[in-house]
Amino acid sequence: MAFLQQLFPWITNGPLILVQVMSGLSVGMFLFLVSAGMSLIFGVTRIVNLAHGAFYMVAAYLMSSLVSLFPGHPLWFWVALLVSSLAVAALGGLIEVTLLRRIYRREHLLQLVLTFGLILIIGTLVLMVWGPENRTVPRPTALAGSLDIFGQPFPTYYLLVLILGPLIALALGLVFYRTRWGMLVRAATVDRDMLGALGVDVSRLFTQVFILGSWLAGLGGALAAPVVAVALGMDAEVLINAFVVVVIGGLGSFAGSLISALLVGQLQSFGILIFPAISIVLLFALMAVVLIVRPWGLLGRPEE
Amino acid sequence: MQWREMVGRLPLPLPLVEVRLQLWAVLLGAFLVVIPHFLSTFYVFLLTEMAIVALFAAAFNLLMGYGGMVSFGHAAYFALGAYGAALLVKKAGFPMLPALAAGPFVAAAGALLFGFFIVRLTAVYFAMLSLAFAQIVFTVIFKWYSFTGGDNGLLGIWPAAFLKSPIAYYYFVLAVTALGLAALYAIVSSPFGYALKAIRENPRRARYIGVHVKRHQLWAFVLSGFFSGLAGALFAFFNGSVFPDLAFFNKSFEPLVVVLLGGMHAFSGPLLGAVGFKLLETFVSSRWPVYWPLVMGAILVAVILVAPQGFAGLLARLAWWRKR
Repeated sequence: MAFLQQLFPWITNGPLILVQVMSGLSVGMFLFLVSAGMSLIFGVTRIVNLAHGAFYMVAAYLMSSLVSLFPGHPLWFWVALLVSSLAVAALGGLIEVTLLRRIYRREHLLQLVLTFGLILIIGTLVLMVWGPENRTVPRPTALAGSLDIFGQPFPTYYLLVLILGPLIALALGLVFYRTRWGMLVRAATVDRDMLGALGVDVSRLFTQVFILGSWLAGLGGALAAPVVAVALGMDAEVLINAFVVVVIGGLGSFAGSLISALLVGQLQSFGILIFPAISIVLLFALMAVVLIVRPWGLLGRPEE
Repeated sequence: MQWREMVGRLPLPLPLVEVRLQLWAVLLGAFLVVIPHFLSTFYVFLLTEMAIVALFAAAFNLLMGYGGMVSFGHAAYFALGAYGAALLVKKAGFPMLPALAAGPFVAAAGALLFGFFIVRLTAVYFAMLSLAFAQIVFTVIFKWYSFTGGDNGLLGIWPAAFLKSPIAYYYFVLAVTALGLAALYAIVSSPFGYALKAIRENPRRARYIGVHVKRHQLWAFVLSGFFSGLAGALFAFFNGSVFPDLAFFNKSFEPLVVVLLGGMHAFSGPLLGAVGFKLLETFVSSRWPVYWPLVMGAILVAVILVAPQGFAGLLARLAWWRKR
């Protein structure tokens, strides 16, 4: 124990550990929102949407413009949150209908490269509209301060995410497991051709799923805007993290992304304490181990 | 039969580019040897870069076009080759040529180590694990200040005295690239290359006829890593320095874009792609640097929707129309 304490001086600091767990949970919740959308889209359409991070970035930039329209208004922040995430959902729908729909039957590789092309296009458009400077989004006044947890400060805004994240996970769970539409989505994940043969309009289902997935990316980006630097390049960063989460949890598995997002959140939160220099390597090392031991992820299904 | 089906079913290699290969190679070689004397240094540098990118993309295409394996982390092997050579010069005081020759072996060793795990997976999972290892390589290079110089990079990696002039180094790169491409061509035309294509088309059937699938894939991965490393080492001495972005994931998409642009189902695809990619990059990004990614993205989307076989596919289509 003494040895451990020498190595990690924080190990007996209960409040600090509690705060780390909580901030890990909130990071996990952000990751969950983004990766759930990505995993959902993959599960149904079999497309790994590399532009998912770009959607997240667009929402954050939209948020930065919208929030500054009526800075003091207490309700405006929530309106902006809704508007920017819905705008991104609409963008996703537009892209699905005009581009992705034409390549569902093509090689995976071409689908990947197409969505990669979208990253480049969206990134440049964002640069043209908002310019190269980083932007900041103020937190709503009610959530601007920080809480005192046994003497450790904890930003109040993260509490919002800690509450909103599980609520959205619950809502999604209810949709997937308690509604007819959710049943169709799960059926499409298992065998979309069979679903089509049974008379379901698969093409419309794909569009709907893509819109829902894009909305989740948008919500993640809009929610994250006040706590991250809204900058070019945030798309790549979140894309890689979401990828890792989705791969660890199992592509196409909703519960898998939830568990894996929480796991990765904790890993990031404590990784910084334990190995500050190489915390990012921990993430990829975890992904590598999962892929080697269980290539289809924690809760995914082996691909045939 | 529609041309679409024709192009889809053409056996590798494509006829137009391959049948008269020797003649074309000689003509092209003569052209490439003479041309720098009529060009400014700027274009000599551009040609040098084209050759390096072509070698990198051809190495990448051994995996993608011939093996059907898409790596999202090939920058790792390019960077291992570049850093391997640069570190030998800086830390061990090697002269240029031995350092350059050692670079690819460093990359191949990395490819063997990572590839051992990566080839166990397929499709998206293959791509993801290769990305994960590449990010680890990037982070190690980026964080290990005392050894790799971190984001300061390593400076002063210059070629030997007799290769100092741009044209001399261009000839050197041209010769090494030609050798590399010849080796890659020999590989894809060998029984090994045919086994690789068989695996790409149908891994299960390949296994039934007695091909050791994973071993072939691992060899392809190591060879691809080796030649990517060679391109990386050439680049290190061309650039005079190495930086961690060589291993960053943006760099991993470069050969992918080049191969896609040129056409992945032809040996000449990566070469055509490298020329087209570099020309576009130079002219678009010198005039409208901000719009370059936009143009690149639009081209990618257009290529996929309209001409999924790239330039080589367009040429084949042209040849087919002429024959009709």
